[in-house]
Amino acid sequence: MLQFAVLAPFLTALLVPFFFRYIRQVHTGWFVLPVPFLLFIYFLSQMGAVSEGDNILSVVEWVPSLGMNFSFYLDGLSLLFSMLISGIGTLVTLYSIFYLNKNEKLNNFYVFLYIFMGAMLGVVLSDNVYALYLFWELTSLSSFLLIGYWYDREASRYGALKSMIITVLGGLAMLGGFILLSYVAGSTSIREIIGATDVVLESPYFVAILLLILLGAFTKSAQFPFHIWLPDAMEAPTPVSAFLHSATMVKAGIYLTARLFLIFGGTDLFFLLVTGFGLLTLCWGSYMAVRQTDLKAILAFSTISQLGMIMSMLGFGTKAAIFAAIFHIFNHATFKGSLFMVAGIVDHETGTRDIRKLGGLMTLMPISATLAFFGAFSMAGVPLPVFNGFLSKEMFFETSLHIESTSEFVSALTPIIPVLAVLGSIFTFVYSMYFFFQTFAGNTKGDLPVKPHEAPLGMLLSPIVLILFVVVVGLLPNLINHPILTPATAAVFGEAPEKHLKFWHGFEPQLFMSLAVVALGTLFYLTMKKWKVIYNWLPGRMSANKVYDFIYNTQFKIAEKTTNTYMTGSIRHYVMYILIFLVGATGVTLYVTDGFVISTDDLAPISWPEIAVAVVMAIAAFATIVMKNRIAAILVLGVVGFGLSLLFVFFRAPDLALTQLIVETVTVALFLLCFYHLPKLDTEKQPPAARTLNMIISASVGILVTLVAIASHSSKKFETISHYFIEESHHLGGGDNVVNVILVDMRGLDTLFEITVLGLAALGIYAMIRLRKEEEELDS
Amino acid sequence: MELIMAVLAGLLFTAGVYLLLQRQVLKIVFGTALLSHGAHLLILTMGKLNRGQPPILEKGIEHYADPLPQALILTSIVISFGVTSFLLVLAYRAYKTNKTDNMEQLRGSDHD
Amino acid sequence: MTNLITLPILIPLIAGTLFVFWRKKLPFVRMGTQIITIINLIVTAFITFLVVQNGPIILETGGWVAPYGIILVGDALSLSLLLTTNVIAVAAAFYAPFSLDRGREEHYFYTFFLILIAGVSGAFLTGDIFNLFVFFEVLLMASYGMIVLGGTRQQLRESIKYVLLNLFSSILFVTTVSFLYSVTGTVNMAQLSERVGQVNQEGILTTIAILFFVVFATKGALFPLYFWMPHAYAKPPAVISALFGALLTKVGIYSILRVFTLIFNGNIDYTHSFFITLAGFTLIFGVIGAMSTNNIKLIIAYNIIPAIGFMIMGIGIFTDVSLAGSVYYLVHDMIIKGALFLLVGAIAIVAGTSDLRKISGLIKNYPLLGWLFFIATVTLAGLPPFSGFIGKLLLLKGAFENGHYVIAAIGLITSLLILVSVMRIFINGFWGVSMELPKEKRSIKPLYVPITFLLIFSVVLGIGAEWFLPHIQQIGVDLMNPSVYVDAVLKE
Repeated sequence: MLQFAVLAPFLTALLVPFFFRYIRQVHTGWFVLPVPFLLFIYFLSQMGAVSEGDNILSVVEWVPSLGMNFSFYLDGLSLLFSMLISGIGTLVTLYSIFYLNKNEKLNNFYVFLYIFMGAMLGVVLSDNVYALYLFWELTSLSSFLLIGYWYDREASRYGALKSMIITVLGGLAMLGGFILLSYVAGSTSIREIIGATDVVLESPYFVAILLLILLGAFTKSAQFPFHIWLPDAMEAPTPVSAFLHSATMVKAGIYLTARLFLIFGGTDLFFLLVTGFGLLTLCWGSYMAVRQTDLKAILAFSTISQLGMIMSMLGFGTKAAIFAAIFHIFNHATFKGSLFMVAGIVDHETGTRDIRKLGGLMTLMPISATLAFFGAFSMAGVPLPVFNGFLSKEMFFETSLHIESTSEFVSALTPIIPVLAVLGSIFTFVYSMYFFFQTFAGNTKGDLPVKPHEAPLGMLLSPIVLILFVVVVGLLPNLINHPILTPATAAVFGEAPEKHLKFWHGFEPQLFMSLAVVALGTLFYLTMKKWKVIYNWLPGRMSANKVYDFIYNTQFKIAEKTTNTYMTGSIRHYVMYILIFLVGATGVTLYVTDGFVISTDDLAPISWPEIAVAVVMAIAAFATIVMKNRIAAILVLGVVGFGLSLLFVFFRAPDLALTQLIVETVTVALFLLCFYHLPKLDTEKQPPAARTLNMIISASVGILVTLVAIASHSSKKFETISHYFIEESHHLGGGDNVVNVILVDMRGLDTLFEITVLGLAALGIYAMIRLRKEEEELDS
Repeated sequence: MELIMAVLAGLLFTAGVYLLLQRQVLKIVFGTALLSHGAHLLILTMGKLNRGQPPILEKGIEHYADPLPQALILTSIVISFGVTSFLLVLAYRAYKTNKTDNMEQLRGSDHD
Repeated sequence: MTNLITLPILIPLIAGTLFVFWRKKLPFVRMGTQIITIINLIVTAFITFLVVQNGPIILETGGWVAPYGIILVGDALSLSLLLTTNVIAVAAAFYAPFSLDRGREEHYFYTFFLILIAGVSGAFLTGDIFNLFVFFEVLLMASYGMIVLGGTRQQLRESIKYVLLNLFSSILFVTTVSFLYSVTGTVNMAQLSERVGQVNQEGILTTIAILFFVVFATKGALFPLYFWMPHAYAKPPAVISALFGALLTKVGIYSILRVFTLIFNGNIDYTHSFFITLAGFTLIFGVIGAMSTNNIKLIIAYNIIPAIGFMIMGIGIFTDVSLAGSVYYLVHDMIIKGALFLLVGAIAIVAGTSDLRKISGLIKNYPLLGWLFFIATVTLAGLPPFSGFIGKLLLLKGAFENGHYVIAAIGLITSLLILVSVMRIFINGFWGVSMELPKEKRSIKPLYVPITFLLIFSVVLGIGAEWFLPHIQQIGVDLMNPSVYVDAVLKE
């Protein structure tokens, strides 16, 4: 059944173009809306069984030879994510129906969105590492296409490419990690790999595996310094931002880290990396969010920061921390999803998302303002029982105080963690207030592109549902504790937490931390104008974006420069590279393998006429180089050829001699024919350095050929197969001229194709002379 | 004798390669011709020289020269002839269309 | 029955020769070529089926027994490449009539094309090293004929370099064959395997092996020997580029694969670690080249090089898994390179230029072309579930499991850069503000047929990997065990 759940969105995506094309009157969104809703119902119905520990597994074989199968596994963790994906997927689809006009390219939109939905379900349900990787990259690609949805905008294309480069980079690293992991553990099933945790921990590849997989998780979940793609991803239509870039896709990295927690959790390196990058991301994201002026950019940095917070809780690694992380995954999806939708509504109804132009919308858009109020205050972690965000944030504080570790190094670091947690949360408070009050409180400012009014009910419906969750979970957190949070925590941590959620814990340290955040946060928010100058020197001119842009642009420049240095188009250079490589590679090999031998045992006697011919040939060959006159050069070249046929006569090869004679004659004739049309040999010499180089290269090629020839001749180790030809030529071949029999019979295939080559050459020459296209069409 | 022929082949290769590194098309074509000669000479040398009679069977003769290299050379000569002729005409056509026989002026770029 | 194996060579050879005499009857020749390629595909598929069922087909041509006569060996490796070749041939036969001009078609394009296929098939099938040289010459001569066809200024300029460098490597080829003959006294590849094995590839033999490597690597466009390739492949019409990109360099790679598993397997530490190093450089410099230009055809041409790097990497790692990876990648790359060249050809037709800086917003008017290109790009980069992923996974597994981390890391990073270099065409060319399209141009509708045909094969090769993988894994095992080949040929 699970496989159909994953398949359903893909099939829906296939049908979208038909709906879009043939039923234009109805918004395509309505056709696809039931799918995620039904999926949500399905996952809801599994909740009871899963919370009892009845996990579901279903396997569809794909490439069993490589251990690559679609095995889907539903446990507490994947159920939580599946419900988020299908639930928010339903709300986002509903929202998009009102957000996107019927005249938009809805076919593209819903195809990409539903491919994403299927892929995301695949990520969280796959038990097979390769299938997980497949779906992982599919989410990157569909995210790429969705960010580039309005592709005629430069910023969309930039954001799309950036997100793809960073997430695919991480994906590839993760693939490397998976290959090693499955090699070490001897299985491609995540559950079986977890079963072999000991082997993995002891393997020498452990560090590499951890680093590679975390690189995948960090890039996808926008951890510092890979977070830079997320703000640019805000070019996507707002429903996409709400769905992919806050509630689901960016949590894939969190999911992966949680899923493999049983293997990695408890090691120092895991703690350091995950906690360290998590806290850094938390602080940096919230700090940078305050600076933004675009509503969606604030939310993007806020998402980065919140992801960092969840990540750091996974790093803490205690049972309570994991529980808090799971709880916050849920809470974040609800309040951030609704805030994105509100931001989209503001954009839709006022025509701008620039917070400097906004203000006083509370009276004009009271429902949206209320929604934003609950969302923002929940995000800020204001200690009131109607905000679910407060509950998980307080657990974050609590767990940051109780990190257990046996390692001294880690223990030495633990006191800093609560400080960073509070610091990050202060800025979180500031930007939440900033987001809400700047937009909805104060006075209305003039000149908005559109006269603001409240959004239609359909558009408000989705954020209302999400905010209901915020409030209800805030009031009655235990409603989702047993059915969702506990099984998910158990799936991550290996044993179930015995946690009862409540609002009031008494005057514990975490309460004071929360109060400190509210107090300092309020102070900072009110004095914001005064201290905002700080951004001029931190980050100032520095930014990871600049690094990305620099790398992206320079790589092309470097590529162009490097390539142009050797791809000169000069045949002389190309021949030279090849020859240098030839001489180098063979020369070194000859030396290293001690290949050179010389033996004078089995040589033909030296005869003077032959030597005389050889000398003449050698002289003629070099004369070809120095000849200034074309005819003379052609004739000396002919001397070499005729000399060769003479040698063939001496060396008992009459057929060769004859052929060589004929061929040489025709060649010389051809040369003479052609030279008439070619210009005179140029007398201008190449520069001395070039000539020396030419000499060195040509001499070394010559020496090399001679050496290898001598060595080959001196190491005859076997009787040649020629005796057979001599024995069988008359008997089987019916001819006494053995060479001829070989040519026409024993190796007739060679001859057939030799003739083919000749024929082709003739055709080629004919075509070359007959067909002369001018600089016509660039291509055809 | 084989050693001397190996040296001769080496010299032919040297001269051929040197010509290959020139700028003028005609010289480059000369170079390829010399290289083919060198190669053919080597094939024959590699099958031992001056042993026995030419490989044309006659009664009473026991030893013959190795016929296989000869057959291979024959094939190779014909092929090089074809390719050289083609190259020559190509050189001529390239000269006519590009108005130069200097290969250094035939470098080109990505977009033309 | 064994004579069947000559059909993939003889059918195109005979047809190509006959078409010389009907060069003015273009409709007949076009349709004839299409029918011939389809027949050839069916025949090859049938032979492949037989080989998979009953093992290799060995043909002693003219009845001259091995190792004396020329032997044709149809084993699973040869046949899988042959089959791929004929798939590409069918696509090219259906692409050519709608993209070439009448002049080129009348001047024997179809003859060159068919004989090229014959030459490539022969090179895959022959079991004789000198005969391999002859088939190399056949396919090269056919390619010379095609590359100059039309004789434009730039075509002639690049083809003279192409012909010269290939001529040089051919001369080196025969010379090296003669060295090998001197030492071993044979040119039959099975017997070479046996004899080189008997002396443990001692003495001069490793040097000769490296000479062969240089020859094949020049034809196969490996670093640092590929300089002749990108521009020469990018200049002629798209269908010719597609044939070259898909087939020619791959014959070089096939030869390395064959020769360095069958014959020169005695000094692995030396030769094959050398290959891995070169593979690394080939990957890096190839993809750097692909990022260096804005000419869309050149981008694809440069992308041939890193693919070659991947295949050589598998040969260098030298385990059954990595060799299977190389073979899978080889088959995948032949198809996808063919498809990509055909795609950029279509893009150049609709945009009227191949300068990426002048192309934008095509997706509005040509959505199908855009999405086909997108799929091809993703396939090229080796993202799942398409065919590139399977080969790459095998290669990476081979690399990681044998401790070759550096090359594995280079392979991963290169994959990303390949994606970036080609996705650029999609982002800049298909996305963006719609450009003004040239008024008069050919319809590209008929071109979708061969492009889709190739892409379907590519997708099936990825998603249906399980149908092919066991056979290709078996090829990997057999390559590691050359006695399988030797025994089949020499019947010992």
